[in-house]
Formats: sequence, C-alpha cells, structure tokens
Amino acid sequence: MSRFDRQGFLGVDSESKLRAATLGLVGLGGGGSHIVQQTGHLGIGGYVVVDPDHITESNTNRLIGGTLADLEAATTKVAIAERLIRALQEQPRIIPVRDTWHNATGELKRCDIIVGAVDSFKEREQLERFARRHLIPYIDIGMDVHDLGDKTYLIGGQVILSMPGKACLRCCGLITDDRLALEANKYGAAGSRPQVVWSNGALASAAVGLIAQLLTPWFKEPPEFVYLDYDGNRGTVIPNDRMELLRNKVCQHHPSEETGDPLFDMREFNRFIADSALRNVKLSWKRLWAVIAKILGL
Amino acid sequence: MTVRLKITRRLMETIRRDLARPHPFAHERVGFISAGLSSADDDLWVLARSYRAVADDDYLHDPSVGAMMGPDAIRKALQWAMSDGVAIFHVHTHGGRGRPGFSGIDLREQAKFVPNFFQIAPQCPHGALVLSDNSAHGHIWLDGDKPCEVITGFAEVGSPLNNWSAA
Repeated sequence: MSRFDRQGFLGVDSESKLRAATLGLVGLGGGGSHIVQQTGHLGIGGYVVVDPDHITESNTNRLIGGTLADLEAATTKVAIAERLIRALQEQPRIIPVRDTWHNATGELKRCDIIVGAVDSFKEREQLERFARRHLIPYIDIGMDVHDLGDKTYLIGGQVILSMPGKACLRCCGLITDDRLALEANKYGAAGSRPQVVWSNGALASAAVGLIAQLLTPWFKEPPEFVYLDYDGNRGTVIPNDRMELLRNKVCQHHPSEETGDPLFDMREFNRFIADSALRNVKLSWKRLWAVIAKILGL
Repeated sequence: MTVRLKITRRLMETIRRDLARPHPFAHERVGFISAGLSSADDDLWVLARSYRAVADDDYLHDPSVGAMMGPDAIRKALQWAMSDGVAIFHVHTHGGRGRPGFSGIDLREQAKFVPNFFQIAPQCPHGALVLSDNSAHGHIWLDGDKPCEVITGFAEVGSPLNNWSAA
C-alpha cells in the first residue's frame, strides 16, 4: 500500500494533480490551521501561507499544530504552518509570508485556489475581489457564535466557493454595505470573537472537500458555486437555500471588465524584462570572471 | 519568463459554441477575445474578459482558406482594443481533441495583422489562439516589433480546474 492508495478514487492522476497544485491560505488561525493540516495530508504540493501574527495564548484552544512551546517562543503562525506541512510532505513548495496578504499579492497570483480564513468582512471582500481579478477560485470560511439570551448560544458559520463569474459573497448576502459599515464603526472596540476548535474543523473540512473537488473531482459536474451553512447546535452542514437560487447567476458585483490589473502597462513590463536580462548577463560575467580569477590564482 | 492565459469555463464554452455555428459560406468561424493583464516578477497573466464573434458580413469569400476576415472585422477589433484599452486575441477552432496547432496559413495571417494592434493599444500584448474541443494553443506578441512567443500555460477556470502547458 502506498500513501495515497486509500484516496485512489480521486483519479489515477490525482496524486500528480494535487502535487502540482498551489494553494493560497490567508489566515492561519483556527480555521486556516485545520486547512493546512488536512491539505498536507491530502497531498497538495504548493502553498503560499500568509499571516502577520505569532501564536498567542488565546490561540492555543484551536490552532492546529501550535504547541505550548511555541507560545513560549512566540512562534509565528506561518512557521507553525510550514512545520506542519513539512512533517506531512516530502519537498513541499512553501512560500511563507509573515505579513498581511496585501503584501503577498505577487505570490498569491500564482495560486490555483485561494482560501480566506479571515475575521473581517472588509478583508473577505478585498481578498475575494483580488481573486476575481486574477480568475482564481476563492473559498471563504467563517464562523460566529450568536448570543440567543438566557445563557444559550448558537454556533454558526458558512463555507462559500466563489468562482469567477459566478455568485459572489455579496450575491450571497454575506457581505453587505450595512455589515461593512457596522464593522467599520466597531473597529478597535469589537474585542475577540468566540472561536472553538471543533466548529473551525467542521468548516475547514468542508472547505478541503471543495479544494479536492476543484482539483480531483470524484463525481461528474461538481458545482461551480457552493454555499454551505454550518449549524453547530444541530451538528449539520447543509446547502444554503441561496445555493440553488444563485446557481446560474452571473455576478454583477465583479464584472469581467474588472479582470486584470488596471495599471498594467506592457511597455513597463518589457523594460523590466530587459533590465533583468541585463542584470543576469552582468551577473554571469562576474561569475565567469570569478572562476577565471580563481584558476589563474588572482 | 512565463505567460499563462486564464479563462473561465463559461466563457470558453460560449466561444466554442459560437465558433461551432455554421457560416453562410465560410468553412469556419473566427472571433476575438479581450483580456486584462497582470504580472509578478517576470511572470505574465493574460486574463480573458469577453468574446466577440466576427459578424457574418465581415467574412470575405476565399475558398482557399477556412475563413478569411475582411477589413471591417479587423477594424472593429482594433476599435475594441483602443476604446477599452484591452489585449486582443484572435481565436478560431480546429475542433477535435488534444493539443491543437496553427496551420501555415494561420501563422502567415496572424503575423500580418496582430502587430497592427500595437499602434492602437501598445500598453497591452496581443495574440492569437487556436482551440480544440478540450485544449488550446496560442501565440502572444509582447512587442509589435518582435516575433511572437508561445503562450506557456493555460488555465480553464471552473469546476474542476483544468491546467495545461504548451510543452
């Protein structure tokens, strides 16, 4: 038996497809760390892992791979993610970015899929817009705990596959101007949102299922738009009603005319290529001269 | 340097459907794709936006080739490049399955008209694509004064994702 025999139903070439794929993971906390671990097991070969933070005590209730020793050492979340992947994969391609994703756009453009496990609606919207501009499928996961009063709570969450051209987070009603305004007004005073390991895990597992579905589908015509609701009180993950309603919707929030970088100029790109070619030539001469000098004992 | 062309499955299906329509006299149909662009280091992405078919009346009678565009077809495409500031790729299909290739006539004709787009929209690369029923191959001009290059990779974005390279 080889490592991937038990997932052979994903296709004869699934191992090479998963190995060739590059996943962008933005947010390596409760949800993102589960995805790191599961995709490491699954056999995804390439990763761009992005998070500006290091582990803190309040992360240790849910950050997969994070240990108490990491807490002592203030290990970065990207380092924990990298360690987790390297423990599960031989020679993975990992680009760790200890920064906000806004400073990792070059790396994220190279990804086949981007997963956002971020806290704010603003971040979600910006990340989705970036992914859409670059025709990259975006998977969003999020959980929340709602106070129902009388010391009872509802754990909820969602997983959305936002495919370029199809329904987006705004189409789903997840992102609204009201929510963004409310979030902006609360900025700095919101405190930490409640998060628990098992709900993060359920949502992350559903997201990893979507990743596998995009790369190595095990059934015909997998859906291009997915909106799943998690109910942590009932223990269910079911399609949101809007999933069927929006199945064939063409998104108006991200028109195709917005695709690409609006400031791109081919002439500048050609100059950059010419300059870097020149730099390489100069470097080659320097290397050659160093070899000659060494031979001649200069 | 790598050049990757990305296109949604929905747009690719629209193009294939349109190109499969019979024409009153031409043996095959042609059209144009507009695209946005993005880069990181020396990697370039051509990101397909939309498709416009060449109008029935804009074909010339030329039984020696599958389809011959008239001057109006080229003029409309040039106008599109100028007004929207987009990259323009000529597209047609050879049908069948597997990696398609350009014919000698394709290569001759595209070398004639594609560099003209740089007079109108020099801020974008331009090029030509040939499709099969499940793949594509393409040439891109990064500069109107230089020879074209082969598009190194393609991604058809849908579920499932479909990536392939020119090699």
